[in-house]
Amino acid sequence: MTNNLKKEKKWFKPMFDFDDEEKPAKKSKKETHSQKVPEDIEPVESEVLDLKAGQKPIIIKDHQHWLKTFEPVKVEDLAVHNKKVQEVEEWVKTVCNNNNSDMLLMTGPVGCGKTITLRVLATKYNVRITEWITPVDIDIPSEYGEFEFKQRQSVRFLDFILNAANFTSLLDDNNRKLVLVEDFPNTFLRTPSEFTEVLQQYRQRAKSPIVFICSETHTDNKNSAANIFTPSLKEQFKIHHITFNSVAPTNLKAALKRVDSIISRKHTAVYNCPTADVIECVVNSSAGDVRSAVLNLHFACLKGGSRQNMDTSIVPGKESKSKGVRKKKQTSSKFMSLGKDQTVSILHGVGRVLNPKVIETETGSKKFTHSPEDIIEQFISQPISFVNFLEENYLPHFSNIDHVDKAASAISDADFMLAEWREKMCQEYGLYTAVASLMLANKAPISAWNPVRGPKNMKIQYPSARELFLEENHLYKGKILVSDYQTYCKIIGNKTGT
Amino acid sequence: MSLWVDKHRPRDLMKLDFHTDQAVRLKSLVQQSDFPHLLVYGPSGAGKKTRIMCLLRELYGSGVERLRQETMTFTTPSNKKVEIMTVSSNYHIEVNPTDVGIHDRVVIMDLVKTVAQTHQIDSSGQREFKVVILNEVDDLTKDAQHALRRTMEKYVATCRLILIANSISRVIPAIRSRCLTIRVPAPTETEIASVLKLVCRKESLNIPPELAIRLAKAADRNLRRALLMCEACKVQQYPFTADQKIPEPDWQLFIRETAALILSEQTPKKLGEVRQKLYELIIHGVPPDMIFGGLLKELVRNCDMSMKCQVASHAATYEHRMRLGNKAIFHIEAFVAKFMAIYKKFVEESMGDAF
Repeated sequence: MTNNLKKEKKWFKPMFDFDDEEKPAKKSKKETHSQKVPEDIEPVESEVLDLKAGQKPIIIKDHQHWLKTFEPVKVEDLAVHNKKVQEVEEWVKTVCNNNNSDMLLMTGPVGCGKTITLRVLATKYNVRITEWITPVDIDIPSEYGEFEFKQRQSVRFLDFILNAANFTSLLDDNNRKLVLVEDFPNTFLRTPSEFTEVLQQYRQRAKSPIVFICSETHTDNKNSAANIFTPSLKEQFKIHHITFNSVAPTNLKAALKRVDSIISRKHTAVYNCPTADVIECVVNSSAGDVRSAVLNLHFACLKGGSRQNMDTSIVPGKESKSKGVRKKKQTSSKFMSLGKDQTVSILHGVGRVLNPKVIETETGSKKFTHSPEDIIEQFISQPISFVNFLEENYLPHFSNIDHVDKAASAISDADFMLAEWREKMCQEYGLYTAVASLMLANKAPISAWNPVRGPKNMKIQYPSARELFLEENHLYKGKILVSDYQTYCKIIGNKTGT
Repeated sequence: MSLWVDKHRPRDLMKLDFHTDQAVRLKSLVQQSDFPHLLVYGPSGAGKKTRIMCLLRELYGSGVERLRQETMTFTTPSNKKVEIMTVSSNYHIEVNPTDVGIHDRVVIMDLVKTVAQTHQIDSSGQREFKVVILNEVDDLTKDAQHALRRTMEKYVATCRLILIANSISRVIPAIRSRCLTIRVPAPTETEIASVLKLVCRKESLNIPPELAIRLAKAADRNLRRALLMCEACKVQQYPFTADQKIPEPDWQLFIRETAALILSEQTPKKLGEVRQKLYELIIHGVPPDMIFGGLLKELVRNCDMSMKCQVASHAATYEHRMRLGNKAIFHIEAFVAKFMAIYKKFVEESMGDAF
C-alpha cells in the first residue's frame, strides 16, 4: 500500500520530500515506537548470526535509526528549557488555526534543539511540516560540455514554499501545515535583497506559517541569522524571533538519563549501559550541544569488537584530583578524545585572567584552576584584541602599585611582541606574557565587582584647517597643527575676530 | 587668516635665513637638469618643508604654488577602500601616507605608480619628471618602506621622491642609501631671535631682544612655534615688554597637570585617572613621543640624581618599545606605573630617614 503511494507521488514535484521517517510518527507515537523497536533489534541480531560466530561484531543496518531512536518523542522529553518550549508552543498553537502567512525565526547555537522542538510540537498539534532542502543547481554537463543552469535559486525557492504552503498533500487531508527553512539557498546569503522580495511574495500569496531556523556561531561573519534577518526586515514582515540558549547541564543530564533508560530497555545488545560517571563526562565535554552529547554517548557506550569495555578509551581528564574537586561540585573530568572544545567568550576569558583562582593540589603545591596555557589556547586566534581587553580592565583589580608596575611592564612587552605579526610564535609568546604575568603579578587583589569594559577606540581626531582659521590648502596637516598651531591659532583668531 | 609664519615664509632658496651654505648647494643641485631622490630630515620646525617648497619653485617656477586638494581612493588587497587627502600642483603631489595607518603600503605603491605613469604634457622648458613628496617617512610601516624601495628604482625616470622625516634612524638603510640625505638641523636660539626681529620689522613692530631670546628658548628651538608664540604675544599685549607672559601650548599644560597627578599619589586608582588623561591627549592627536618627552621632563624635576638616572633609563626602554609596538598607551602607562613604584619607594625611604 505504502509502496504504491510512493510511486504515485512522483507526478508531483520531485523536490517535495515527504519525510518517510516522519510519517509513521504522526500517528500516535507510542504505538509506532513499540512496533519499531523489535524491528530495530531483529535485523541486528540476524546480521550478527550471519557472520562468524566467534567475532560477533555489531552492525546496525539502518544508519539513520541509531540516532533517531534516542530522539525525543514527547514534549516532556525535550532537553530545551520549559519556558522556551512554551514560547514555541504558543506560537504554533495560535498560528496553525488561522491561515496566515506568519513568520517565525528560531536562532540559537548548534545542537540546542531548535529543529526537534519544532518537530515534536508539530506532531503534538498534528501539523505537517514541509522542509526546503537546497537542490544542486547545475545539471550534468551536456554533451558539448556546457553546464546548463536551471531556474534561478530564488525563483525555485519561492515556488517551493508557496506550493508547500498553499496545497495540501494528496496523501492525507490534513490542512494544518507549516513550511520549514533551515537550509538557506546561497543566493540569499550573497544578495539579501532577493530574500526580501521572496518574503514579500510569500506574505501576499501564502496561506501557511513559515519557520526559519538559523544556527548562531560566535564569529559574526558566519552568522546567517544576523546577515539575512536584519532588524529592519524583522520589523517589516513582523517576524517573531525566538532565541535559544545552549542546553543547561542539568537538562542535558536529564536527556541523557532518558537515553540511558532507552538503552537499558532495548539496546543492550549494542551498547553497554552508561554509568553515571560516563554521562557526567559526556555532559562536561559537549558544551551544551545535545546532538553531540548523544553522539558522544553512543561512541562511549558502544560495545567494542572484542566485547571489551570502551572505558579504556575514555580518559577522564585529571583523574587524580577529581575527588578533591568533586567536593566543590566542579567536576572537571571530561573526555580527552571526544567532545567539543569549550567555547569561552572574551569577557569570560578576561575574568579568568584577572580573577585567577588558585587551588591546592594533594601534594600541597598551588595551581590555577584555569592555567594560562588553557586560556591562551582559546584566544590564540585573536591575541591583539584579547590583550587590549586585558589592558583596559586590569587596573581596578590591583591594590599595590608595585604589582601594577610588573603587570604594566609585561603588557608593554606583550604589545612589543604582538607588533611582529608576521611571526606566529611572537603572537603566542606575546599573549602568553600578558596572560601569565597578569595572573601572577597580582599578589593583593581587590575583590569587587568590576564590569568589563571594551577597549577604547583610539581614532585620532585632528583639527581641520578651517577650525583653526587657516586656508584649506595649508602646508601642514595633522600632527603639526596640534603640536604647534592649535593653541596659538585660537589666541590669535579670537583676538582678531572680535 | 594669514599668520606670520605663512606670510613671511621665504619662497626663494637665496632668501633663507639660516643654513645659507646648504641653500646655495641645493640651488646648484637643481640647476643641473637632474637630481636624485631626496631624504630631508631634521627636527620639527627647522625649515624642512620651507626648503623643499623653495626647491620646487626653483625647479618649476611659481606654478607649484597653485595648490589644490584632492581625496584619492585606493583599494587594499583585502578589498577595503582607503581614502587619503593629497595636496598637489601641476608639478608635484604631496601626501602623508601615515594617515591611513597600516594600509600605507598600498597608498605608496599606487600613488607613485599613477604619478609616474602620467607624463608632463608640455615637456619643453619643463623638467621631465614630477615630484612626489612623502611626509613622516619615519612613521611608515616596514612593509611600506620596502615597497617604497622597489618603486623608487622602478619609476626613477619619470618621478622624483622627496621624503621628509624627523629622524632617519627608523628609515630602512635601503632607502637611506638610495636617497641624497639632507640634514636640516634646528636653528640656534640666536638664529631664531634674529628671524623674530626680522619678521617684526616687516610687520613694523618693535621687539625687545630679551623677549626674542626668551621666545626662542620657550619654543624649544622650533622656529615655527617661536613665530606663532610671537604673534600670540603680540595679540595679547603690544607694545612688547621684555618680561611679558609667553603663552604655552595647551598640550604642554595638560601634560604638566598629568605629571602633577602622578606625583600627588602613587596608587592604581590614580593610575586609572592618569590613563584617562593620556587617552585624551592621544585622541586629540598629540604625538605619543611628545607626550613621553613632556612627562619625563616634568617628572624628573622632582627626583634626586640617582633616581633621575634610573627613571631616564626606564623611560628610554619604554619609549623604544613604544616605537616598535602598536599601542602607544600601553608603554606610556607602563612607564608611569614604573615611575610610581620607584617614586613611592623613594618617598617611603626618605620618610623613614626623617623619623
